[in-house]
Amino acid sequence: MWFLLMLMILLTNGMSAFGLKMIAGWGLPETVKYPYLTVWYAGGLVAIALPMLLKGMRLGKTELFWGGVAGALSIGGQIAMAVALSSGVPGHVVFPIAIGGSIFVVALAGRLIFGERMNPPTALGLALGFVGVVLVGLS
Amino acid sequence: MSLSFCFLGAISFGLLGSALKAAERRKANAAGLVVSAYAWAASLMLVRTLLLKPGGHVPTKVYAIAVIFGICAAVASLAFQVSISIGKVTVGWLMMNLSAAIPVVVSVWMYHEKLTLLKVVALGLVLVSIVFLFWGQVVEKRAARNPAGRG
Repeated sequence: MWFLLMLMILLTNGMSAFGLKMIAGWGLPETVKYPYLTVWYAGGLVAIALPMLLKGMRLGKTELFWGGVAGALSIGGQIAMAVALSSGVPGHVVFPIAIGGSIFVVALAGRLIFGERMNPPTALGLALGFVGVVLVGLS
Repeated sequence: MSLSFCFLGAISFGLLGSALKAAERRKANAAGLVVSAYAWAASLMLVRTLLLKPGGHVPTKVYAIAVIFGICAAVASLAFQVSISIGKVTVGWLMMNLSAAIPVVVSVWMYHEKLTLLKVVALGLVLVSIVFLFWGQVVEKRAARNPAGRG
C-alpha cells in the first residue's frame, strides 16, 4: 500500500506542475495562469468531493480548519517565492532554497514534534533526495 | 532582504507539510482535508482571476489541461495525506518534492530540452534516493514484523 502511494505521489504530483510549462510553451500571456489555477484547483476539488458526496461523507470542523491552514501556508509560500523572484533573485536560487528548505523544516518537525526515527537506508535516501531535489531546482 | 523571502517560502512550505501531519494526528479525514484545502485555494484564485483586467481571451485548451492536471494534483495530495497515516511525513514530503524530476524528464522527451550533466546527476540522485527510501521501508516493515530480531 505504502509503495503504491509513493509511486502515485511521484507520478501525479510530478505531472500536476506540467500544465504551466505547456502554457509557457504556447506563448500565452502571464495572466493566463490565474484562470488556469482557478480551474486547476476546482478540477481537483470536484474529483475528490464527488466520490465523498456519493459516499455520504461530510466536512467536519477539523477538516475545514486544517484545510484553511494548509491553503494559507501554501499561498504564503507561493507569494514569498513570487516576491523573491520579482525582486530579482534568480529562479535557480529561489527554488532550491524554498524546496530544499521546506524538506529540512518537515524533517525537523518530523523528528522533534512527531517523534519520527529514520533507519540508515531511509536517512541516506533522505540525504541523497535532498541533494537531488536541490540540483533539480538548479537545473 | 530579497533572499529572506526565499527562506520565508521554505518555512511556509515546511509548515504546510507539518500542518498536514498535525491534521492527520487530529484524525482529520484525508479526502475531507484535501477538499477543504482545494476549496479555499480555488476561492482565493477565483477572486484573483476576477480582479484581472477584462478582455483577455483564454483558449479552451488551457481549461482542458487545467482540469487534467488539477485532478493529478488532488490525487497526489490525497495519496500524500493517506501515506502519512501509515508512514513518515518526512519521506512523503520528500517524495512530493522528488516528483519535480518528472516534468524535467517529460520536458526532455516532449520539448527535446537539452539533457545537461547537472540534470543527469540530479535525476540519478533522485532515482538512487527513491531506491534507498523504498529499501528503508522494507527494513522497517521487517523490523515491525520481527521486533526481537535485527532489522
